[in-house]
Amino acid sequence: MLMVIVSGLAIGALFAATALSYNVMYSTSKVLSVTTGHIAMLGGVFGAYAISALGQPWWLGLIAAIVVGGLFGWLTDLIAIRRVLARSDEHLWLLSTLALATMVQQAVGLWWGTEPKPFPRLITQDFSAGIADQKFWLPIGLAALMAIGLEFFYRRTMYGKLFLAMSEDAFAARARGVSTDRIRVASYVIAGSLGGLAGFAAGQLTFAYFALGLTLTLNGFIALAVGGLGSNVGALVGGLMLGLLNTFASYFFGGEYQQTIAVGLLMVVLLVKPEGLLGAQNVRPV
Amino acid sequence: MNTKTRLLWIVPGAVAALSLPLWSNDQYQVHLAALICCYWVLIAGLNLVVGYTGQLSIGHVGLLSIGAYTFAILGGKWGWPAFASVAVAGALCGLCGLLLGLPSLRLPGFYFAMATMAFALIVGEFVLAQGGLTGGGVGLPVPGFPPPFDTPEGFYYLAVIAAVVASVLTWNVARQMYGRGLIAIRDNPVTAQAVGVPVFRAKLTTFVFSGVTAGIGGALFGSLQSYITPDTFHFELSLFFFVCIIIGGRGSILGPFLGVAVLTALPELVAPLAKLGNFFYGLLLLLVVLVVPEGIGRVFELIAQRLRPRSAVSVPVAPDLPRLARAIASIQALK
Repeated sequence: MLMVIVSGLAIGALFAATALSYNVMYSTSKVLSVTTGHIAMLGGVFGAYAISALGQPWWLGLIAAIVVGGLFGWLTDLIAIRRVLARSDEHLWLLSTLALATMVQQAVGLWWGTEPKPFPRLITQDFSAGIADQKFWLPIGLAALMAIGLEFFYRRTMYGKLFLAMSEDAFAARARGVSTDRIRVASYVIAGSLGGLAGFAAGQLTFAYFALGLTLTLNGFIALAVGGLGSNVGALVGGLMLGLLNTFASYFFGGEYQQTIAVGLLMVVLLVKPEGLLGAQNVRPV
Repeated sequence: MNTKTRLLWIVPGAVAALSLPLWSNDQYQVHLAALICCYWVLIAGLNLVVGYTGQLSIGHVGLLSIGAYTFAILGGKWGWPAFASVAVAGALCGLCGLLLGLPSLRLPGFYFAMATMAFALIVGEFVLAQGGLTGGGVGLPVPGFPPPFDTPEGFYYLAVIAAVVASVLTWNVARQMYGRGLIAIRDNPVTAQAVGVPVFRAKLTTFVFSGVTAGIGGALFGSLQSYITPDTFHFELSLFFFVCIIIGGRGSILGPFLGVAVLTALPELVAPLAKLGNFFYGLLLLLVVLVVPEGIGRVFELIAQRLRPRSAVSVPVAPDLPRLARAIASIQALK
């Protein structure tokens, strides 16, 4: 039973990390990018590639995952967001990020192969460690660290305050002389490197698998919508809730209906409290 | 394009499509044309949802899969008559569309897209889990249709009939008041509501209609494939439907049709594209969204505008003096 809880927390931590990554991008651009899960997938795949295939030490793999994630975040902004945000049609960013996500997934599938490949051990540890196994504690620790780091960043640094200002009102921030374009690019790079880091830390749990991105995009989004869009604490709570629910459901009913249960949770929360558990009240569109 | 030039395109196209089994000596071409028709039955309905109402549903492969499995189970396992099975498949998918649409159509854009995507994944999960009914990962054979539709040519004509019926239905909706209401919802839901379009009901009705066409398209698609597994209905197929509509241009019927015809045939004709597959579709979608969000049709319009020299017709403006004098005279007479 303890095993179920710990593995639920671990997978939930990965969802929460993805949701945090969504949040960072959303705060500056009001865009929910479909590529969010694919960033984490890239972190896992490139980490495994650097360590297993190239035989590098684990810290080089870590750097590779962060750099590739950050680079892809930057590319997302450059290709799929920048030109589209200039137009007024609000649906276009959904299409452009979906297109980019598909391209990346297919490219990784062609290059890396469509089979999940094992992710190397990062710390020498016996496989019989049970609940103390690193594959559970790495993602949990990382998600906690990410949430604390982001909170510190938002509260204590000038750049973080600029992020907050943009998420409150981008036009007002621009009028005050904030270079909103540069802040947006910075937020995508940060979200990308955080996502890459999350994919790397959870690699032993998920394996290096090219189709992971779409699942993470969906589950990270569900975690975010349950916790409340824009709230970092909400992302953590939503992610952990979703992860625990997933593992408990497969423990009691078997693993066939994971997605159904996740979407069921989303629907219940959206019906009872549409803005999410800790989200801000929605403003009417008029 | 006015009606006359449109007819100029459509009539030869229809003749070529109808006589295809006669002049084509390749069985595979007939198969491909039938596949295009099956896809089109689904896309015609989806076009009303995506192209007209602006609801980005990326999970229609789930409905396609339900239609195909319903047809396979009813027509194959339980031995129902084929056309009754098609009707039930359509009705069941309409019901699923209703159940999916009731909660999810109230959600804003990205939430709706994610809900439909989750629906597609849930259907996949369900098919795998209910192995006793659906054959699980092994799959299920799908029956054919009774004569005269049991040959490839016969099936092709059946698919053409279904495609034509679907097109006429959607065209009928699109060109009338109701279709204008849908376009209004796409362009500005708040304004649409303000001028009296029943936003939620219109969205839901359209979505249920697209569910019915998806079910019928799925039954035909399954019968054409003759054997279906969960892998037949991978998520990228959904993306393919979606790309066809966006590339063809939103708010048009001919555009998405050309989109599905070209995109289905292209990977078969150009071998390197088949290997890239979905990467190519993704690239195409990205290019269209970034360069011509109105669809490929817009490119041709722009080229046509460039090529056709704009003839400046000068309309001389001269005052109608006698009439003016009469008017002044009548005013003075009144005084």
